[in-house]
Amino acid sequence: MKLDLANPAWLQTLPPGRSLGVDAPAAACAFSTDGSRVAFGLGDGRVRILPADIAAPETPAAEPLHGGAVLALVADPAGDGFVSGGDDGRLLRVAADGTASELVNQKGRWVEHLAAHRSGAIAASASKTAFVVKDGEVREFGPHPSTVAGIDFSKDGSRIACAHYGGVTVWSIGNVVLPPRRFAWRGSHVALKWSTDGKFIATGTQENDIHVWRMAQATDMRMQGYPAKVKSLSWTADARFLFTSAQPVFTAWPFAGKGPEGKPPLQFGDEGAGLMSVVAAHPSAEFVAGGYDSGELQLGDLKTRRSVVLRMSDGAAITCLAWSPDGWKLAVGTDAGALQVLDLKR
Amino acid sequence: MAQAQVPVTVLTGYLGAGKTTLLNRILSEQHGKKYAVIVNEFGELGVDNDLVVNADEEVFEMNNGCICCTVRGDLIRIIEGLMKRKDKFDGILVETTGLADPGPVAQTFFTDDEVKARTRLDAIVTVVDAKHFFGQLGQGTEAEEQVAFADVILLNKTDLASEDELKKVEDRIRSINRYARVIRTQKSQVELDAILDKGAFDLKRILEFEPDFLHSGHSHDHEEEVRSVSITADRPVDPDRFQKWMGALLQLRGPDIFRSKGILAIDGAPRRYVYQGVHMMMDSDWGTPWKDGEKRTSKLVFIGRNLDVENLQRGLDDCLKS
Repeated sequence: MKLDLANPAWLQTLPPGRSLGVDAPAAACAFSTDGSRVAFGLGDGRVRILPADIAAPETPAAEPLHGGAVLALVADPAGDGFVSGGDDGRLLRVAADGTASELVNQKGRWVEHLAAHRSGAIAASASKTAFVVKDGEVREFGPHPSTVAGIDFSKDGSRIACAHYGGVTVWSIGNVVLPPRRFAWRGSHVALKWSTDGKFIATGTQENDIHVWRMAQATDMRMQGYPAKVKSLSWTADARFLFTSAQPVFTAWPFAGKGPEGKPPLQFGDEGAGLMSVVAAHPSAEFVAGGYDSGELQLGDLKTRRSVVLRMSDGAAITCLAWSPDGWKLAVGTDAGALQVLDLKR
Repeated sequence: MAQAQVPVTVLTGYLGAGKTTLLNRILSEQHGKKYAVIVNEFGELGVDNDLVVNADEEVFEMNNGCICCTVRGDLIRIIEGLMKRKDKFDGILVETTGLADPGPVAQTFFTDDEVKARTRLDAIVTVVDAKHFFGQLGQGTEAEEQVAFADVILLNKTDLASEDELKKVEDRIRSINRYARVIRTQKSQVELDAILDKGAFDLKRILEFEPDFLHSGHSHDHEEEVRSVSITADRPVDPDRFQKWMGALLQLRGPDIFRSKGILAIDGAPRRYVYQGVHMMMDSDWGTPWKDGEKRTSKLVFIGRNLDVENLQRGLDDCLKS
């Protein structure tokens, strides 16, 4: 079975799914590592866990876990639950049954950015400091020149990269302590993703640009021409393309071969009413999902350049997207608290 | 979703002037409103409020070649983060450190599209210590610049100074910033509607907010001091020439010009053209129409350092239709 956007069913009906409304913006969503559950981090401090199976009965809502808003959420790479960060300064491990245990408490700071690695490690940022949690041990990295605005693991999990004013800092997190490596570019960097092959680090900047460093040569490149800040970056599974938000259609920079220098980005899909606010490349195949600040959701096929609409505009910005590990389900959250789990098998 | 822009009030003032007292008053008073507060010293506030956010004043230079385009990245981040909360609030109060330059805070609200979409800078409120102001002026440029940026100035701790001292401080404040409203206070006690929801950066309210605006004239202090100057013109302004002149002026002198405002009678336009700016950043719009038979006078105000009023007047005169 494969995802085929040429199937006429896509034009006739929206895909089946589970939809529910909550009374708070969705900040982040993720499927659990085993694919059995999906969770949404909400602006009222709740982590709403639902079965990934759209036919299974809905699990009841739990009490808020965070004092303020949930700001970040990822699947727990060391279990079948989740990890959440909030503006109450806490990093929580949330078990599949919704019970929470505290990993980090930084009162007065916000735990804003999270990344997970399949080795079981979790990286979190709070203010100028990065935390790595692995095998029950918490280690600190920093301080950085400013609050960390993006964090990610290298492919092999041996390093983390943190975005901040003036560029990116890469730390080795293994047992051998190495000095951090600094990749400099002026200005404020507001998003970061390490490429899935480990060769590049991409950031979005305050000046509506994308900055990419090639790790091996420490050379860098800048892509301009966005009408807004690029807050969402997503590398395809094979690292051949970097998808970016802040455009009205799917926009991907080609990194295969000699890289994107001197080439235009690949653009396809239907124009949304607004700009894409979130992009999420498929976990294994050449598909991509893009959510708009105007509420539409589109699915694109990189090979055929076909696209289909998965959700119509309702004016509320899509704030988070997540693929299930098997790539057949898509979780969607909006700033008006619309939560959806779509089943894309047709 | 169309959301109303949340008003943001910036509280500045030298160390010990009474900012924290003022904040505590705003938060503890029964006004039925909910404020998010962004402070630098977490824990100094006596009020328990889960909407108090600790910020490090993280200033960065925009990567656009403009040397005075410094903004507060932490504010951009915090404002975005606050919007993720379920609880909404009526306003945001930003307290700066005693030695902070208010420029980057103000410029943040001119620069970032998301911040502009969600919030509006309402006013800059500066608390001045009546007893120690002159001493603080001698310690660096901060105390003077905080007054220069202000829309409202609380002349605080008046119980600790004599009437004569107060007059002298007021005169000095006026020589720096003739356009701010000065309110005498003790222990930062002030009616909240005197400092909140002022619309000082609202282009529609430029005329109504500044009672002093229409009186031309200028003081004769030393030019290197921070002061306010205004210039006027009675003939219509040529928009192209004005744009060129103002662009060049701000390019060259932006770092020295803290605030600027203006109402222009553009040649052939039935409505007033209004603008206001902080350093090199500027907002402008068409204002109310001129009435029939009304004298169409253009008025420009600058608050800054090293301002040569004759030179500015000549610059404006060169933009007029002959």
